[in-house]
Amino acid sequence: MTDVNLPFETDEPAPQRGFRLGLGSIVLLVGIVLVAVVFGIALLQRNQTQPTAGPAPDFTLTTLDGDTYRLADLKGQVVVINFWASWCGPCRVEAPALQKVWERYQNQGVTFLGVAYTDTERGAREFIAQYSQTYPNGLDLGTKISDLYNIQGVPETFIINQRGEVVEFIMQQISEAQLSAILDRVLATGV
Amino acid sequence: MNRFKNIRTIMMVLFALLALAVPVLAQDGGAVTADEVNTIAKKMYCPVCENIPLDVCGTAACAQWRDEIRIQLEQGYTEQEIINDFVGRYGDRVVGTPQDPTLRALSLVTPWVIGALVVALAGFSLLRWWRGRGVQAALAPAGAPVSDDDYRARLERDLQAKR
Repeated sequence: MTDVNLPFETDEPAPQRGFRLGLGSIVLLVGIVLVAVVFGIALLQRNQTQPTAGPAPDFTLTTLDGDTYRLADLKGQVVVINFWASWCGPCRVEAPALQKVWERYQNQGVTFLGVAYTDTERGAREFIAQYSQTYPNGLDLGTKISDLYNIQGVPETFIINQRGEVVEFIMQQISEAQLSAILDRVLATGV
Repeated sequence: MNRFKNIRTIMMVLFALLALAVPVLAQDGGAVTADEVNTIAKKMYCPVCENIPLDVCGTAACAQWRDEIRIQLEQGYTEQEIINDFVGRYGDRVVGTPQDPTLRALSLVTPWVIGALVVALAGFSLLRWWRGRGVQAALAPAGAPVSDDDYRARLERDLQAKR
């Protein structure tokens, strides 16, 4: 039988058998983590949805007539924010209804703000003239307001209560009866 | 009488031909062509769809933007002025890349830098693995089994020495 001299019986130090990472591996690992973080953020942003409750994101809208409206300054009123575009078919369908409701509620503590999404000034003006819209309408310059509200298309309508909170979000063309019912409820209850 | 009738008919035909020719002449004489519009539209993206260039996009929104480009070209705006105007109104997404020189450079260079780093690291790792394999083979005694495991190699060497 052979006398086996095992390493731990020798004077030679035993080799290190731990898990060690080289510099290259560390850099590669950091790179992978960074890429994963970037993809994660992109995914989160993609999955962001329109606000349906809580404080409404504040913005300032300059209308085509040159007036300026800041949402935060409209606290105490119910605000209807309608995103639209002149190239959008459903927006043309709902435009007369919005104007009618505006005419009925404008003296009852309700403000309408029309936000034209990726629209040309010429197109927006023609649209407003065609549907005789008299409530404030402006272009969403730099699509900043649309980004704040994460809109996915047009038309989309948000109803903000007197405390500046989103109480309704409608992701389709709105009817006169539907909008009137919502405004009656919010004016009466605040929610 | 007949001669006058013929002359009148010929004059009417000539007038009709001239009337038809006017728009064609107008087009040749400085009106903006679809190609000119599309040259600029190619550098922009559809505002309501993802990653579709404006020149090939079929939505009403794109058609409206192309009309806007045509109008601005007719007004004498240059290509860069039109692009800047669109970016100012609709944001950087119009052109797909930021207009700010620093951000633009970063967005264009970063993917290449990351790619080059990955290739360099992969090459470095491959080279290190290759060299390590060569050294191990050289260290191993003739006839001894080549192993990646240091511990096993040392054990084999000790056994050889004992025999």
